Amino acid sequence: MLKIFLHYLKPYFWQAVLLVVLIGAQAFATIELPTLMAEIVENGIEKNNMDFVFATSAKMLAFTLFGSVCAVASGLLSARIGTAFSRDLRLDLFEKILTFSTDEIDKFSTASLITRTTNDVSHLQETAMMCLSMLLRAPLMCVGAVVAAIRLAPNMTWIIVLGVVAILVGVAVVLGLALPKFKLFQKMIDKITLLTRENLTGLRVIRAFNNEKVEERKFDSGNRELLHLDVSIGRIFSVESPLISLVMNGICLLCIWIGVSLAEADASYIATMMAFMQYAMHVIMSVLILTVVLVMIPRASVSAGRVNEILRHTPKIKWKKETNREDETKTPEVEFKNVSFCYPNAPENILTDISFRARVGETVAFVGSTGSGKSTLVNLIPRFFDATAGEILVDGINVKDYKKEDLMQKIGYVAQKGVLFSGTVRSNIEFGSGALEKSALDKVANLSQSAEFIEKLPKGFASPIAQGGTNVSGGQKQRLSIARALAKNPEILIFDDSFSALDMKTDKKLRKALEPEKPKIITLVVAQRISTVKDADQILVLENGKVVGHGKHYHLLKTSKVYREIVASQFSEKEFESELKIAEKEGSHA
Amino acid sequence: MPEMKKIAKPKNFKKTLKIVLISLKKWRVLLILSLIFAVISVVLSVAMPKLLGEITTEAVASLGATGKIDFEPLSKIALALIILYIISAVFAYFENYICTLVAARYSAELRRRLIEKIARLPISYFDTHKHGDLLSIMSNDIDALASSLRDNLTTSISSLTTVVGILIMMISISLPMSLISVAIVPVSLFFVGKIAKKAQDYFVKQRKTLGALNSEIEEDYSGQLIIKSNSYEPTATANFSKVNNEYYETAWKAQFFSSIAFPITHLFTNFGYAATCLLGGYLAIRGELRLGDFQAFIQYVNQFNRPINEVAQIFPAIQQTLAAAERVFDFLNAPEEEPDPAQPKALKSVKGEVEFHDVSFSYDPEKPIIKHFSAKIPAGSNVAIVGPTGAGKTTIINLLMRFYDPTEGYITIDGVPTREMKRGDVRDLFGMVLQDTWLFSGSVEDNLRYGKTSATLPEIRAGAAAASIDHIIESFPAGYKTEISEDSDNVSAGEKQLLTIARVMVANPPMIILDEATSNVDTRTERQIQTAFEKLTHGRTSFVIAHRLSTIRNSDLILVMKDGNIVEQGRHDDLLKKNGFYAELYNSQFAEE
Repeated sequence: MLKIFLHYLKPYFWQAVLLVVLIGAQAFATIELPTLMAEIVENGIEKNNMDFVFATSAKMLAFTLFGSVCAVASGLLSARIGTAFSRDLRLDLFEKILTFSTDEIDKFSTASLITRTTNDVSHLQETAMMCLSMLLRAPLMCVGAVVAAIRLAPNMTWIIVLGVVAILVGVAVVLGLALPKFKLFQKMIDKITLLTRENLTGLRVIRAFNNEKVEERKFDSGNRELLHLDVSIGRIFSVESPLISLVMNGICLLCIWIGVSLAEADASYIATMMAFMQYAMHVIMSVLILTVVLVMIPRASVSAGRVNEILRHTPKIKWKKETNREDETKTPEVEFKNVSFCYPNAPENILTDISFRARVGETVAFVGSTGSGKSTLVNLIPRFFDATAGEILVDGINVKDYKKEDLMQKIGYVAQKGVLFSGTVRSNIEFGSGALEKSALDKVANLSQSAEFIEKLPKGFASPIAQGGTNVSGGQKQRLSIARALAKNPEILIFDDSFSALDMKTDKKLRKALEPEKPKIITLVVAQRISTVKDADQILVLENGKVVGHGKHYHLLKTSKVYREIVASQFSEKEFESELKIAEKEGSHA
Repeated sequence: MPEMKKIAKPKNFKKTLKIVLISLKKWRVLLILSLIFAVISVVLSVAMPKLLGEITTEAVASLGATGKIDFEPLSKIALALIILYIISAVFAYFENYICTLVAARYSAELRRRLIEKIARLPISYFDTHKHGDLLSIMSNDIDALASSLRDNLTTSISSLTTVVGILIMMISISLPMSLISVAIVPVSLFFVGKIAKKAQDYFVKQRKTLGALNSEIEEDYSGQLIIKSNSYEPTATANFSKVNNEYYETAWKAQFFSSIAFPITHLFTNFGYAATCLLGGYLAIRGELRLGDFQAFIQYVNQFNRPINEVAQIFPAIQQTLAAAERVFDFLNAPEEEPDPAQPKALKSVKGEVEFHDVSFSYDPEKPIIKHFSAKIPAGSNVAIVGPTGAGKTTIINLLMRFYDPTEGYITIDGVPTREMKRGDVRDLFGMVLQDTWLFSGSVEDNLRYGKTSATLPEIRAGAAAASIDHIIESFPAGYKTEISEDSDNVSAGEKQLLTIARVMVANPPMIILDEATSNVDTRTERQIQTAFEKLTHGRTSFVIAHRLSTIRNSDLILVMKDGNIVEQGRHDDLLKKNGFYAELYNSQFAEE
């Protein structure tokens, strides 16, 4: 944690130095007050010197004002440094995470990456600010007060030591007893929340099975346990505040008692003792504040660890500065040469030994059950993952020899779920292409079957899109995503299971509309519906990461058992039979 | 630095206060006792500085008179002080303890009442309220109520007692000095209030920009593939940086203003301190103030500010507490389900003949959904419910299961109106498998037993076998004892679906309600589920929200729904011939060419 703090506070080094000076000055001003008061008692009251009282009181006021000005200035500095720290940290995290590949994102999970950038950073900011104010002030006050106390009455300092030891022991015992229970308490709270959530999400099932009473009993036993813990923690913590007052009061009494005894030899000890007592209180209060702060630090170090994990992570995928265009082909081409892919530390390959070649104008389709690896396969082309073995060539160049922008510019990628960004319909379509002419915009809207619903929107292309595209339907989102990919004028169009969100009618219309575009490009389609891929030039049937069939629709019907199974599950019996017959006929022609 | 909450106000202060007080009634003796303890403890501690001062005064006096100190009277005072310290600490401990005890019991009771309430509320309540809000009542609001009870109740009383006590002590020492100290209070409060207002404004702004920042992060992280494949990173970073800077600008101001409230208070405390020294010094020189009293007065000045600030916070704290209490009790007092009839009818042997008698229904009286629907479903027949998403197919299920009751007309099972039966008895007649595969965290075995608590292990195995999930269960590391974790991440979506089918198989009800939709399941599992569905519906009266062609074709009755209405009913071929909505739907969803 310290490392993060030191690293990110570096740009604010001089501000931090100034902050320390200001806090020191403020502590000094506060600490001077009791000494001045003692002087009033000793030289003013006891010597009946009103002028001295007056002058010293004025001095006290001046010190007070000075201290407050310092405090306000230090508040300003620590607020600025603390929030600037979190701002810089957040930006670094953001930039770093944007370079992560898909398996790195999956490893951390998107939700966790979001919490790390938001909550964890906020938490660190809080801790940084606390350190910059309290953690600096409390030791300075403590040291200052101890020095002042020693200067006043060295033979009474042991009282302070006694007080500090008593407080530390007391707090340690209370925390030592309570902390283990706290962990348990948190667990029970989580359990209660879980049970409540289950009661809400399973509402209909619980009622359908008449199990309301069962759920209540389950909850009740958890609830009782929680109550029990709650009370026993309360019993421990109830000791804390009376104990602290007891120690502080005892120290006051001790100060006065010792001071008075010493006054027998030297009358000035009466005044000394009065100031000393206040120093003792300052020290004990500072120690108490320190313990509170120190208890909070382990919590922050968890956040620091989580943030650090990301900062230290070296992204696996490294891009070339310039594309090596030596072997670039004239026409678009995608080739897989014995490609395998395996997640780090996973026992089995997700993809094994995949080879195929797609030329311009071709449509290649990938089918197979969930988990067959078909989606991973197309994700290797834009390097969302890197193949663990084999080569992937785009236009004759290994994808690993590309500059990122050069490769991406060739690819139009449509994900399984339509992902939109807050902005307008237009800004979403122009997301990858930059500003488009109206005619180009209309063209992609038409191709993607979006034109119709965009026209119906109140402001057409200028209509706002909410965060996550929540104000348009799933199918509309998907169509806009396709428009976005088409707007780039890509050489390679990748549909990663993008048609499942569309209804049959739109799916068909879309495929028909894209037909004239196809000769210029390569189309790669991952699909679940056989009807989507029936007309593809090549179909790769995948099972457990291996190609178990490769060819055209009717060819596969004859040769691939897996393919036949998939077709049978989607077609009616009659349709399936007639398809098989056609396959037979085609076979005999060939 | 904790973010200041915007001060929430209860809608009805008096009423909520009354409800809260009534709900605390059974602990009133304990609560009053803790208040008495608090007052005793405070009175004792307020007396202490004055007594300490007595030691100094006595010492100075005897020093002045004899040059020596007579420790005899001093030790008496000291002894008295020690006893006072201990008594005060003991009272403070019991006061704390009683408060935490009551708070813990109170929150446990509220949690219990809440969970029981969930079972008594009609389903419609949950369809119109967000789960998140209810969870927040359970965790945040009850906690707020309990900790306020624990912290604020006695703090307010002891602060008030402290202020009054210190005031009395100060006045007893010196009226003019007290006036100075008291005069500073409103000035201090005024400035602190101004600053707090300013901080509050910036916190509101900060929260807004934080929201914008978070949505920026969320959007970009979830859309990362799209950002990457479009080389959008520089723009995304620039946008993020802009919002990040905006956040910084509001955040530091909010932090700054909230951080200076303390030094400003401190400034005024020290002003009072200096002024007291001046006036006290003057009075002491004139012999109108004893030295010990001077010392005591300074201690009082230092102690005066904290309880004053606390007293100033009491009212907003009560308001916040009552706002939380209002949400808790609004839920607890929400209207409950109509009770079951006093003399419910019961079915002896169930054939499973269901009839809709002129049923009308609406969720919203303005928008009638089902209008005068009648249908007779002979025992053992299969009913398919079809329609586009959002057509209200689940409404039929809601009515059959009596999650909702028809607004007009009635439904009979074997001739007995379901309204005249117990809800529980009606629900027992149906086995239900929904698309949302709900399993609770617990073992596989317990989950399968959920529909029939008395089921034996062989019965459970038979159920699992019927749903063809027995082999999968055996392959789990702990077999039937395998724990299904929260959100059931260790079981795939298909397995979950099969488990919910097996759960119904174990319960073996006479009638079935099921939703065929399966999401995220591969073709092979899909077939398994299909086979299990067929076994489940075989020979039983069944209502199926149908997605598969074969189910629809083979069903005895198809109910076609559109915009919440049943628009057509009949068999597949008849409906196709009609060439109405069903035909259109069928052609767009299933027909190939």
